[in-house]
Amino acid sequence: MSTISTQLRNFKEPTKDQLTHVFFSIPEAPPVPLKDTEKQGSGDIEKMEINAILSFGAQEVEDSYAGKLHLLPPYLAFSSLDRKSVRFTLPLSTVRRVERLNARAGVYALSLSTWHGMKIIVQLTSLRPTADLFCGLLREALKVELQRGQMKAVKGFVKTCYSEGLVSLSGVSDNEREDGSLITETKEGCPAPETEFHGGLGLRFKFPGDPKKLREASKIKLWTTYLKNHGRNLTLLRYPQCTRLVQVGLPNRLRGEMWETLSGSLYLRFSNPGVYDQLLLDIQGTNSTSFEDIEKDLHRSLPEYAGYQSDEGISALRRVLQAYSHRNPEVGYCQAMNILAAAILIYMSEEQTFWLLEVLCDRLLPGYYGPTMHGTLLDQRVFESLVTRCLPMISDHFQAVDVQLSVASLPWFLSLYINSMPMVFAFRIVDCFFCMGPKVLFQVGKAILKINGEKLLQIQDDGGFLNLMREYFASLGDSAHPESADPRARAITRFQELLLISFREFAVISDETILSERRKYRNEIVNSIESFSKRSAVRNLKTLGRFTKEQAGFIYDALYKAMCDVPPPPTVAPPPSLLATNDGNQERAETRIGIPTFQVFLSEILTWARNEKIVINGFQERIDREVAEHELIDRLFYFWDTSCKGSLSFQDLVSGLDGVMLNDLMENIEWFFNLHDKNKDGYLTKDEVLTLSESFLFIFRHEIGDAYLGAVSKFMTNAFEYGDSLLPQHTNSKTGATEPRDIGHNQPYLNLATFRMVVLADEVLESFFETDLSASFRLEPVPDLELPPASSGFLGDLWSNIATQDNRKMFNKLSDELGKTIGKHQVIYRPTIGRFTKLEEPTARESLISPPAKTTSGSSLGTVVVSSSSSTLDTSSIHDNGPSSASVFSPMPHFKAVNAAFMERTPFAIDDAGDDDDDSDLDMVHGEDDDQVMDEVDAFLEAHDSGLTEADKEVAKDLLNAEPVK
Amino acid sequence: MADAASGSVDRSVQVKLVLLGEAAVGKSSVVLRFVSNEFQANKEPTIGAAFLTQKCRLEDRVLRYEIWDTAGQERFHSLAPMYYRNAQAAVVVYDVTKATSLEKAKSWVKELQRQANPNIVIALAGNKVDLVQTSAMSSGSTPSSESEDEADDATATPGESPSVSGGEPESLRQVPREEAQAYATEAGLLFFETSAKSGEGIVEIFTEIAKKIPIEHILASTRGGAGRSGGAGGRAGGAREDVNLEEQQSKKDGCNC
Ligand SMILES: Nc1nc2c(ncn2[C@@H]2O[C@H](COP(=O)(O)OP(=O)(O)OP(=O)(O)O)[C@@H](O)[C@H]2O)c(=O)[nH]1
Ligand SMILES: [Mg+2]
Repeated sequence: MSTISTQLRNFKEPTKDQLTHVFFSIPEAPPVPLKDTEKQGSGDIEKMEINAILSFGAQEVEDSYAGKLHLLPPYLAFSSLDRKSVRFTLPLSTVRRVERLNARAGVYALSLSTWHGMKIIVQLTSLRPTADLFCGLLREALKVELQRGQMKAVKGFVKTCYSEGLVSLSGVSDNEREDGSLITETKEGCPAPETEFHGGLGLRFKFPGDPKKLREASKIKLWTTYLKNHGRNLTLLRYPQCTRLVQVGLPNRLRGEMWETLSGSLYLRFSNPGVYDQLLLDIQGTNSTSFEDIEKDLHRSLPEYAGYQSDEGISALRRVLQAYSHRNPEVGYCQAMNILAAAILIYMSEEQTFWLLEVLCDRLLPGYYGPTMHGTLLDQRVFESLVTRCLPMISDHFQAVDVQLSVASLPWFLSLYINSMPMVFAFRIVDCFFCMGPKVLFQVGKAILKINGEKLLQIQDDGGFLNLMREYFASLGDSAHPESADPRARAITRFQELLLISFREFAVISDETILSERRKYRNEIVNSIESFSKRSAVRNLKTLGRFTKEQAGFIYDALYKAMCDVPPPPTVAPPPSLLATNDGNQERAETRIGIPTFQVFLSEILTWARNEKIVINGFQERIDREVAEHELIDRLFYFWDTSCKGSLSFQDLVSGLDGVMLNDLMENIEWFFNLHDKNKDGYLTKDEVLTLSESFLFIFRHEIGDAYLGAVSKFMTNAFEYGDSLLPQHTNSKTGATEPRDIGHNQPYLNLATFRMVVLADEVLESFFETDLSASFRLEPVPDLELPPASSGFLGDLWSNIATQDNRKMFNKLSDELGKTIGKHQVIYRPTIGRFTKLEEPTARESLISPPAKTTSGSSLGTVVVSSSSSTLDTSSIHDNGPSSASVFSPMPHFKAVNAAFMERTPFAIDDAGDDDDDSDLDMVHGEDDDQVMDEVDAFLEAHDSGLTEADKEVAKDLLNAEPVK
Repeated sequence: MADAASGSVDRSVQVKLVLLGEAAVGKSSVVLRFVSNEFQANKEPTIGAAFLTQKCRLEDRVLRYEIWDTAGQERFHSLAPMYYRNAQAAVVVYDVTKATSLEKAKSWVKELQRQANPNIVIALAGNKVDLVQTSAMSSGSTPSSESEDEADDATATPGESPSVSGGEPESLRQVPREEAQAYATEAGLLFFETSAKSGEGIVEIFTEIAKKIPIEHILASTRGGAGRSGGAGGRAGGAREDVNLEEQQSKKDGCNC
């Protein structure tokens, strides 16, 4: 692993705004403005949220709900107060009409008509001026969308959705959506030739599972009704029924579109028309390491599915994965993505799959698939902590027998269970995942553990754990209660049991729980990844030189810190294809740094590569450290760049330092000589002697006293004297004296032996080469005088360091200003070698400076700005998640309860194996089936709190029949 | 299911073995061949790791291999310590038709030697030899070593006879047998060229490892009642490099709550 990524450091907690976007599945970046309307980028329009009560449906099909209405141009979104019962995300372009309703005094209500003819009534319950402001902004935002031509785009876009055909086929008037409420009905908008809806490989190669057993027909019927009444694709309104229908499993033909809608990737596809096709053009003829990895796995992705035994399926998979890796090179390609993409392509077109992958990797599973897989590791840690909290017996047992939860659970999360369970079941989990978000993975994971609790307490090692899990997954289709006398209880499959437990018992795991747990463990994970890559990097060094591993580790730390400060340009490395590195398979090009990063790096370990100003301003004494810039530093850079790449790798730095840090006197002299012998001919030119002297002066620039200055001038005198004397002599024809022949400034002049002699003639220089030069390199953390020493180690400190840097700068500046005004501001440079801490012979020049005692030791500096560590977070909110979380694991009573619950219901027949009717005709709908699906739907019934009082409900009801204000 | 529980009943010795190597070199295929004597042309990549067991008879003793088959892609690297901790044996696989895969194998060996159980027995396997087989056996290897392997092992898979038939050119081969052999000798590894497809060399790896495993050592430590077969190396040996989870837990909990 030779790539050193500092990316993890740059992580920022999502802002409230971003979280809102995530919640509503709204694409982060505003869509690229269309060419004709750049001026009014949607970013200019203000966002706003307002309290509102949502009522819907002329036929009173749904209750009213209190919640928040968000204007997030170009979207309008709503969520009920509990954030789960009701929500929608409407692109503004699907809002066809907005009317103010004539209502009782004090009630401010709007009626919105959507593209599909749904009429939504929102009562703005905030104060009047706020409501007015909201309406104003909404009007503005709608206008902008109109100008962008998005209203027209809707028409072409919805045609690509399967639900359109489904609903119109169902016979009922599909002209609802042209009921005259359209704001812009322009015919000239290009009616896309694609009358075909988007669909997946399943349409041609069959969908997994037996449609009859899956009760496809009943599900389609239920969905058709729902989509007809509640809008669909871009205009879908999500009421509790929607979630429940998802929980019983989406019908195969609708699955792709519903995934797209529920996850919000639909909005990406809508707002980025043509982008996928363009990407395909862009990648033609290109290559990358990701492409190579993809190629290896193409035939290894759901190989048993017919679609992937054909070229059609394989090519589609290749294109999608390549396009994604090209668009997001930071992630590139990770094994498991092939399995996800292959699974998704069964239900979705390539373009749909591409956008869903983007949502998956970016938003739903952040950091899961990147090179460090930190998101995966983090969520494993979070999962473990949730298990510890809710299932303490299991976690204690695991600890006792030294079993790691993640040996089993990591693949669950990484491949959304697709790799672990039979596909038909895994897809149902995926359904819920797209509908309810990543928490589903945790809920299901915990339910799996809980259900197998007793057996898990018997396992003795990792292997036993994995075997148990494998057997459990293989039995998901079996009856959960095979012994039961009641046929209805026997009909309940283990999979149904799993989902019920997931969503009932572990409903306490909310998005917030996961967010705050992630926050809690992020540093820990980042630190362990970093120390892992550090060890790998050190281990993979071709040579440590004379360093120990610990020393190399410190060089790594310094490099890492420098890269955090000054990230190396990403293009420093040659394209991977040209990289004929001896190290074989690096996932990416080796990390190499340029001069700016190198300067920072050196300043970390080399005293004379930094300027340390001691600032005393009467309030504090502190050291301001800055990176020194000098020709000598650049010279070192090129000196160490032995492969002449214009950049340095970790290995180059280690070898370079090895060449100077551990030398004796003679070696050091030679090293310094070579450093200045640019053409390596064994001679310095006169110019080079001058440069070398300047290097001395640079190194000694902060030393106290005249000793060094004297030494350097003595050096110069001697060098030229000896140098001249060694030149071939010739007699001056005019004066008759012998004198050295004039040679050019760039001619070979001084060799090593002479140089050595000159150096050794001076005591100061001799001691410089004897000890000081090597000692000026220090492989130990530069004591950071403004931070209290922390036990978490060097890198750990850095974290809090960065977090408060700005504050500290401001504080320092302020106290400097104050110090100046009261005349106490002083700046002293700290010597880099510090051999002479006392002035040898005080001269007028130095006496201007403050007493030397101040400069001897940094540790005497008193006042320290304590940076507040932000690593301890408030976790109280997740501590008590209701009574169940604290209870000790006890499977039995719980099973009884579930059993009892089931007894009161008619059987769940979806997976009923006893049904051997071979009729798979989707249009044949048995009324009985419908009831049975509904039963299962009902099993997921939860209390949905509308957040309204009876009086509120009355008002909301009235509004349904209110007339618009003229 | 009863595997774990009944482990102590028979006299078999449990040996934890881990497979490492670049993606798609055939780790899972090697295991599949060993465990169920099958070959699947398109095997899905391993996500995280897979776990399988297989018994292996050695003279009067039965070894029960607990095999951890890991994911090969570089980015899964940081997970590997979770699987190789406490392992008593490792098979590091490369693909004879891909030179870079040997480099990766070397770096795995290096990592194992530094980070894993100090007594770990490591075997190097050059897989997919079926793709480069020629009439002259495997590129002029010493025939003696080959016959020796066969003699030692009575349970060699049927149909293994190295295809002497074709005079195929060896254009596909990128790693000469000698080079890998030399490296293995130098690093103190067992070495085999194998084919999961034909079965060649597969059983041999596992029997040779079985011979080299310090069984008495393992028995002694298991009897010690640690409950884990990997007592020999213990946690301290393997778990240090563990990126994952467990380790810091107790410490962290203290200050977070
Ligand atoms: N010809 C030939 N092909 C093989 C052999 N072993 C494996 N393969 C093929 O190589 C591909 C990769 O094999 P896997 O066993 O999945 O490789 P792996 O090392 O487990 O890969 P990851 O799990 O991704 O790390 C599959 O398509 C196998 O069919 C072999 O001995 N000969
Ligand atoms: Mg594998």
